[in-house]
Order: sequence, then C-alpha cells, then structure tokens
Amino acid sequence: MPKLLLEIGCEELPATACMEAGLQLPDLATEHLGVVPDELWIGPRRLAFPATVPERTADTWVQGPPENLREQAAAGFARRHGVEVGDLVVREGFLGLEVPGVPVEEALPERLAAIVTGLQFAKSMTWGAGFRFARPVRWICAKLDDRTIEAALEGVERGGHTYGHRLTAPGRIEVPSATDYLPTLRAAGVEPDRAVRYERIVAGLDALGLWSDPADKLDEVVYLVEQARVQEGSFDARFLELPERVVITTMQSHQRYFPLGGNRFAFVANGGDPDVVRAGNEFVLRGRLEDAEFTYRRDVDVGIEGLAERLKAITFLRGAGTFADKSDRLVALVAALGGDGDAAEAARLAKADQASELVREFPELEGHIGATYARLAGAPPEVVRAIDEQYRPDSSGGPLPQSRAGALLAAADKLDTLNVVFGLGKRPTGSRDPFGLRRAAIGLCRLAVEGDVVVPRELLVGDVRDFVEERLEGLLDVPVQFVRAARASAAADLAGVARQARMLARAERTDEFEAVLTAFERAHRLAGRAEAEAAPVLDPALLEAGAERDLADALGGAAIEVDDGLEAAAALAPHVNRYFDDVLVMADDPAVRANRLRLLLDVRDALGRLGDFAQIQRAGERAS
Amino acid sequence: MILDLERYWAAQGCVLLTPYHTEVAAGTMNPATFLRSLGPKPWKTAYLEPVIRPLDGRYGENPMRFQHYFQYQVILKPSPPDVLDLYLASLAEIGLDMAHHDIRFVEDDWEQPTVGAWGLGWEVWCDGMEITQFTYFQQLGGLDLDLIPAEITYGLDRLAMLVQGTPTVFDLVWAEGVTWADVYRENERQWSHYNFEAAPVDVLTRRFGEHEDEARGLVELELPLPAYDQVLKANHAFNLLDARGAISVAERAAYIARIRDLVRGVAQLYLSQQEARAEAAA
Repeated sequence: MPKLLLEIGCEELPATACMEAGLQLPDLATEHLGVVPDELWIGPRRLAFPATVPERTADTWVQGPPENLREQAAAGFARRHGVEVGDLVVREGFLGLEVPGVPVEEALPERLAAIVTGLQFAKSMTWGAGFRFARPVRWICAKLDDRTIEAALEGVERGGHTYGHRLTAPGRIEVPSATDYLPTLRAAGVEPDRAVRYERIVAGLDALGLWSDPADKLDEVVYLVEQARVQEGSFDARFLELPERVVITTMQSHQRYFPLGGNRFAFVANGGDPDVVRAGNEFVLRGRLEDAEFTYRRDVDVGIEGLAERLKAITFLRGAGTFADKSDRLVALVAALGGDGDAAEAARLAKADQASELVREFPELEGHIGATYARLAGAPPEVVRAIDEQYRPDSSGGPLPQSRAGALLAAADKLDTLNVVFGLGKRPTGSRDPFGLRRAAIGLCRLAVEGDVVVPRELLVGDVRDFVEERLEGLLDVPVQFVRAARASAAADLAGVARQARMLARAERTDEFEAVLTAFERAHRLAGRAEAEAAPVLDPALLEAGAERDLADALGGAAIEVDDGLEAAAALAPHVNRYFDDVLVMADDPAVRANRLRLLLDVRDALGRLGDFAQIQRAGERAS
Repeated sequence: MILDLERYWAAQGCVLLTPYHTEVAAGTMNPATFLRSLGPKPWKTAYLEPVIRPLDGRYGENPMRFQHYFQYQVILKPSPPDVLDLYLASLAEIGLDMAHHDIRFVEDDWEQPTVGAWGLGWEVWCDGMEITQFTYFQQLGGLDLDLIPAEITYGLDRLAMLVQGTPTVFDLVWAEGVTWADVYRENERQWSHYNFEAAPVDVLTRRFGEHEDEARGLVELELPLPAYDQVLKANHAFNLLDARGAISVAERAAYIARIRDLVRGVAQLYLSQQEARAEAAA
C-alpha cells in the first residue's frame, strides 16, 4: 500500500499547541484517511506524520428514501445527487446510491485539508488564510510515495517541498518521496521526532551531572527547538546569597534553564556558535539576577517589620480592608485554632511580603520571600517555616505544611479568605472561581483531615460551612451518603465530620448499625412529619409506665456522642422497638399524643447526633 | 543601528514616521499603529518611539530598568507570508550574525485590557535575551481586525547591548566618548523623583477628568484623531497617578474601565469613518 506523508509547516508553535495537535492528529487521520498514522513527528515548526493508506478509498452507500416512497421522493433524491432515477439501487428496502471508491490520490487534497483545518487549539488566530490555527501555517508538504499532493487549501503554499532549520538551512528543500522525509530534514538540521529530541536532551543533561527541573520545563523545551544541543553555563557565585528559589525561578520560569547545583546551569540551544550562545545566555541570566539582587537589597533594607508596616496601605479586597486588617484577623484565627506564640508571630508577619518589591517580580514565591526576610530579621525557625508554608497545599495533591504553626497559619489563611469572599457575596459560580475558593476549601479540608488541624465548624461562617464540607464528599474515600450523614452529626470540627463519616461507613452492615438505622427510621418516619404537633418539651408526668417510661429513662441515661456513640445508640434501639410495639403514639388525648411525638423526636435527635441516617440507603436497597 | 533599521524598512516600503508628540507607554499606542491597524486599508510603517512608563523608573540606579527607553516599531498590514524572514534579515542588517546566534521565537501572547486589545506572537530571543516582541494583532479597542497586521517591536537598548557587547545599558556608546549614562542617567534620577514623589496628585486627577471629557466631546464632534490624543494624555495621567501610589487596587479597575471605554469609542468612530471612506471610494 502507498505511503503518505503530510507536513504542516508553521511559524513557531507554542509547546501547548504542539501537545494539542499531537493528541488530535491520530483521530483526525482516522476520520479522514481511515488509518492511524504510522508515527507522529511534532515540533515547533512542523506537525507531520507518515501513514500507510489504501490505493482506493472505500465504496460508500448514500441512503435515500424508503422504496415504498419511490413515486414521491425518488426524483428529488436523484436530482440532489446529480444522477438519474435509473441509477438508484435498492438495499434493505431503501433507495440509494452506490458511490464507488476513487484512487486515494484524487481524494487526498480534500481530506488533507480537512485534517489541517480540523485541528482545534485552545488559543487560535487568523492571519489572512481562511482558517484558524495556533500560529500561521506557511506551507503544506504532502507526498504519496513519490507523487506530490496539493492539499485543497487556499492561501497557503503547497507542494512536495519543505524548509529546513530556520537559521542554518532556511531554503526550500524538495522531498523526493514520503519515505525520504525524515532523512531529508535531518540533513537540513532538523530533528522532527520529538522522542529523539527528548532522549538527546536528557542524555545531554545527564552528561553534565545532577540536573533538576522543579518547574517541569523539559516537556516544554522539547517543543521549543528543532535540534537539541545541551550546553552548560554558570553565574557569579555571589548570587547564591539570594533566596535559592529566587535564583531557581529566574533560571526556570524566565529562561527555561535546568539548575545543575551551585552556580552552574544547563540550557538547550537550537543552533548558533556554542561559545557565543553560552556567553549570551550567561549575560542574560546575570542581568536578571542583578535585577533580582537589586530588588532584594531594597526589600532587606526596609526589613520585614517595615514591610509589615506598609500593609496598612495595601488593599486586600475591596470591602475587606487592607492586608494589615487581614493580618490582624489571621492572628485572631490562629489563636482560635489553638496556636501558640510562634503561630501568632507567624500570622502577624505572614503577609508582610505582599508589600515587598521582590514578590511583585516573583508572585509565585510569596510566602517564601517573606520567610527569608523574617529569618534575616532573626525570627525563630518555627516562625520562618510557618510563613514559608502558609500557602500549602497549593494544589489538591500538593504537600501539606510540615510545621505545626505552618499548618495552623495555612488553615487560618484559607478560612479567612473563604469567610471574607463569601461575606462579600462573591462565591464561585460555574467554572468561575477567581479567588481560588475551591482550592482553598479543599486545602482546608486536607489540613483538618490529614494535617490534624482542629477546625471548629463554628468558624465556617454562613454558606462557607456547606461549601467547605461539600469538598469532603470528594476527598474522603467513603460513599457520599455517609459524608452527607456525618455532616449533619454533632461533630464539632471538620476532622470530626470526616471521622464520623468513616465510622458510619465502617459500621455499615454491623448489627449495631442496623439497629440504630432502624430505630432512627421508625422514629423519623412517624414523628418527623408531625413535628408541628409535638410538644415543645417532654413532660415526664404524662409518661405511661412500661415501655414508654423505660424509653424515656434509657434516653435520659444514654450518652450518645460522636466518634464512639454507636454502642450507646444501639443500646437504645430495643427500647424504641418495644415502644412501637406497646404504645400507641397517635393517642386520642392530644396532650399525650404531643408528648409521645416529642419523645420520638428526642430519640431521633439523640441518634441523629451520630449523623442524619435519613441520608443512608440500606446496602440492599442501593442501586449498585 | 536606528539608521540601519530605517533604511531597511524604508526599502520594504514602510512609511517612516517620527516619534509621536505626546507620551505613550508603548509604541503600540502611537496612532500610527493603534488607529491605522483598524479598518480595511493596508498600511506599512516604521518609527522610533521613546516609551514613558513612570512605574518602571529606578532613579537611574538599576542598569536594566528605566522610565524612559526606546522601541523601534514596525507595522506590516496585512502581514506578508515571509514576515519572519523579513524580520530576521533586519537583524542581519544591524550586525547580528545569524550563523553565530541562537534565535528563538518563544510564545508570548499579548494582551492590553486598558485598550481592549490582544494578539498572539512571540518574544524573540537571541541567546536567551529578549530582543523583540512580535505580535499578530487580533483585536484592538474591542474590535476584530479586517486585515491582520504584524507588529514588530524591537527593544533597542537590549539590541544595542548585544551588538556593542556592553555589560549594561549605562555603558552603551551613544557617540564616540559619550555613553548612555552621560545622556540619560540624570534624566532617570530626576524623572523617577518626579514620577514617584513630586507629581501633583490633585492636578493629575483633575487633568484625567478634563482629558476624558474632552475626548468624549471630540468623539461627538466626530474627530477621532484629536480625541485619541486626549485618551493618550488621560492614560499618561493615570500612569503617573499609579506611580505616585495614589490609586488603590479598587480604583485602578475603575480607571482602567474608563480608559477602555474612551478607547473603544474612539476606535469605533475611526473605524466607521474608514469604512465609509472605503465604500465611497468603491
């Protein structure tokens, strides 16, 4: 079968666009060519693939009207398809048209164009051709064996030629046949295969020693070059006095270098004279580090206390005061969470770096920069660590603070943001969550559940409580119904809700659980909907001796507490059952009836301290 | 270097212009770019632009940050298919030997919410240093563009450092025996002082309002070009107020919205006049 080669020649595509194209091309090839590409060759200036295609396209069947409507509809159908009624054939009761396949060469121009225009990018642009792309498409090279195919796309150069490396082989190069594509480009200074470039970069980095890539730049760099030459550079060791992460961020985020430890770094070049390119890159890095150093020194001269002082002039959120106000709230919150003097001190200084110039340059290093300045001012290590860790966890799987004060401060910060933003009526809607409240809520839950921070539920103001506790449903590995039940329990803090949910899930199918569930259901079913009729409080004088008084006594003596109340609750269950067997709740005397309903409601509420059992479906009744 | 660029782009058919007469924060804001990019008429221009960014001043102490520096701006509307090759050839023209350097086009999407504008493009790196911003405009003043212009903005100070091989901008040789520092360092010190400490907040606040009113009035009189100058002046007043720390975070958003509204009004008026003229001609 013939070999097809398609190359979409572009101006430099962003790495994300390369990845998007790599994901879509197999499906687009399948849709329009009926085959999966043999390989994918993705890079910044060309998206290419080879494929083995059949000689002819498949025959197709265009179905028309049912045969019994031949009189009414056949002529119209034939006219629409440009054939005579006599050309129509019948298949399985329908009139239709058999369209025989054509040589693939004839179909390819349209189909290749459909692949090119079928690519969708999150960010796309127009430039004068009739379709959108991530960056302008400048040529399309297509070969079927040694034949040239001209894709049906106006406004783009098309043919059997390509272009080599932009700087070393910029001219037009003929591709003799589909199978010559790779060697042709390699001879022109281009490595089209991402996997080869990747291996080459990794090998080059390994050869330079222990390299690191904390910001995951390798996956991007592999799409920034058409050839991959790894080089080494270094910078003045005096910059090692800067906060380490400032140096690393400067290397990684801005320049996409790979730190090699100490004052050495590696970078990937796309060409040029190695000495010139190294000197240039070292020069750029020095400039950036000097800029950071300049800013850093200005901040250090002001000092962390001076920066904290400036917070009075910086608005946190319109309607929620300044960052100084936020700091005051944080101090109060960490105290409410049980923090000690270190935690309070960390809370007082936590936001000081928002006033620093260095955070304006490196917003992703907020917290870390403040911690550095606090350390320079002689703050105790626990305080420094807490300031450093205050934004953790910063992603749903991210690490938690390692220090106690850090965990408390992180929880207080999230709690405050949630309460304040909700208080301003700006809760997240749909996919819009500009203040990162979902992440804050998940972080708060994790700090409570995994980080042992006791977060009293009463600190979650208004709707924040539901919003935060709903996150537990996704976070805990127990069925949602148990989390929902536990949210209605008497648990006093967030972690308590989680413990209760797990306890209920574990206890399911035990006799005790069954007994409590049944007792709750019976009490709730009867009295729950007659709540208005019930007496406001139980009147012991109206209780009848026997089952009724026994139940009231048992209830009075039962200590049903969250965490370990299941046994006590289960002990109540037989009394409830006897009460239902022996006592007529809906008595004729309204006062007695009201009292009996009250007793049942009290039973339900006592059991309900363990959770809202109405949320729980019996295992057997649950749809599996 | 500037002369080389002028010669080169003139040979490509660009109209050579001189810097605009009022403060702009980027060569993009010059009406020769901003307004001329709107509408159905092709346009090619090249010009030097001193950009004024009060907030970026560092009293002449930081050798990489200034409140006044130079851009060289090229607009090719519509962008020709070989626009990147044309650009690379211009680098060779000013003495960058392509065979020795690692030139890279690194994704950089441009967005300027103050003027309702965005585009896609790159920052161009030479051996890791950003020397140019290259943008295909998609929208200006909130309006989709008929012909997509390519905007090439050279960072002249950095390019000159590269070509001259000086360690900082201060050391750039401006003429024989005269450095950048001789010419501009005192300017930076004094203007930083003015921008950050001395600029009169009450006067600037009043002027912002006056420029805003005048721009609106001129839009009503269907005079988009003078109206646009008033927008630039209002924008500069805003930038000064910002540098003075006189604008809170909350107010900032309101100021930006006011400027955006002005720009939108002017751009719409300019565009409708252009379209009317194109129709009349056809």
